Amino acid sequence: MTVHRPEPDRDSREWWERVARREFAVQRCAGCGADRFPARAFCPACRSEEWRWRAVPPEGRVESWIVSHQPFVPGLAAPYVVVMVRLAAVPGCLVHGNWRGDREPRGGERVRAVFRDVGEDLTLVDWEPAR
Amino acid sequence: MAKRLLEFRNATAIAGVGYTPFTKNSGASTLTLACRAVLAALADAGLTADDVDGLATHRVGDSAPPTLVGPALGLADLSWHLDQFGGGSVSHAVVGQAALAVAAGMAETVVCYRAINARSEFRMGGTGRGLPVSPEVQYQAPYGYVAPPQQYAMYARAHMLRYGTTAEHFGTLAVTQRANAAKNPRALMRTPITLDDYLASRWIAEPFRLLDCCLETDGACAVVVTTAGRARDLRRPPVLISAAAWGGGQSHLSGGDPTVTSAAALAPRLYAQAGLGPGDVDVAEIYDCFTYSVIVQLEDYGFCPKGEGGPYVASGATALDGPLPVNTHGGFLSEGYVHGVNHIAEAVSQLRGEAGDRQVPGAEVALSTAQPGYILPATSALILRRA
Ligand SMILES: [Zn+2]
Repeated sequence: MTVHRPEPDRDSREWWERVARREFAVQRCAGCGADRFPARAFCPACRSEEWRWRAVPPEGRVESWIVSHQPFVPGLAAPYVVVMVRLAAVPGCLVHGNWRGDREPRGGERVRAVFRDVGEDLTLVDWEPAR
Repeated sequence: MAKRLLEFRNATAIAGVGYTPFTKNSGASTLTLACRAVLAALADAGLTADDVDGLATHRVGDSAPPTLVGPALGLADLSWHLDQFGGGSVSHAVVGQAALAVAAGMAETVVCYRAINARSEFRMGGTGRGLPVSPEVQYQAPYGYVAPPQQYAMYARAHMLRYGTTAEHFGTLAVTQRANAAKNPRALMRTPITLDDYLASRWIAEPFRLLDCCLETDGACAVVVTTAGRARDLRRPPVLISAAAWGGGQSHLSGGDPTVTSAAALAPRLYAQAGLGPGDVDVAEIYDCFTYSVIVQLEDYGFCPKGEGGPYVASGATALDGPLPVNTHGGFLSEGYVHGVNHIAEAVSQLRGEAGDRQVPGAEVALSTAQPGYILPATSALILRRA
């Protein structure tokens, strides 16, 4: 499947490298202890630049989803489902991915991440119903 | 701070509006469209290009900047200009910035314009633009989640799940706006539609159908901003800028509730500037890139409680003969998509009493708004009033 490759920046590159190792990590602020996603250098709560990676369970709940009937990205086969997940480890944050269930998602249902390799050098995060 | 805001309130005015035709293929460059709209707005005001000392626009790399439009129109000595990046979120901020520049004496006559070949050249609904608006797209694009109709559909579904908003609510809004467009000679789509037509239109990104989505359009629109005092001496009835607010909030990737937009934080500042509240608004031109963007803004601008936007529309409140006529021109959904400036121009027409068959009787106060802060966490809005 064709994908629109992500363009990691200096704040996010290690996040993508961790995903490639099948690790789902967020940043934990050393100043105030807040967890955050997406990856960035500063804590928006206390403005500290000190933090460390923290592997968290790749779990959350379905906040919303769409069924895309147009591919929008050339080469993608429509329809496909994109899900928006509220991360259990960082409840203020919403993470996206393709849906890997054999039915449509349900609002609020528990989901877990599935790592998907695309070619040899890219790994993405999809979501499936939690078992 | 309050004293400064009172000085801004009603200090400036919109003295003219101008349009090119709205089409599916303009056959002209965005520079040409921009120049035509600027000259049309000046003619409407009874001014000429020689009166202009400021130009302002907003764009996402798809239009003509003031540094092209100025020379093209022979404006050799502009004292102020603005070329703001940021799409529909900043459409009203540009007019607000122009009003600030005029109020501060940096310029006397600023033309704000948007020229866009959104149908024949740079479609917003695609991915071939190569212009990511934010590094956050890296967390979405690999999943085929790149286009505004998809992103808005995602937030619309969250609203449906949380509040029971329905397809019929979205559809009623589309039907109501098309009825307004039927009375607007400028509108691209003027054939009335029914709720059944809406429900039968094809899926784009569920829960959005084709008729949830705006009409990508070629065209340009411009407004002339000058001092309130000078506007009174010009050809048309001046429309005062009572308030202009813009700003931003948190990204929706890390910002909590996806059913609340940046407009909720901006609205109190906007109303305080004007010294008015939602109950004073006679007509509202609300950024309608999609049906849902109107529903969420009706809530966030205080016309109904959070979660009640759908039932509010379904009650007929936003129809031409309702208590809050919304998008009297048909909006992006039916008039055409000129990235916010056509909403401002329609508000001006209503306040002048020149909106023809779609005129809201006695309209004195209008709210017009920008993209409310999804995709980019920024928004902007104006409150205008008849002088
Ligand atoms: Zn912190």
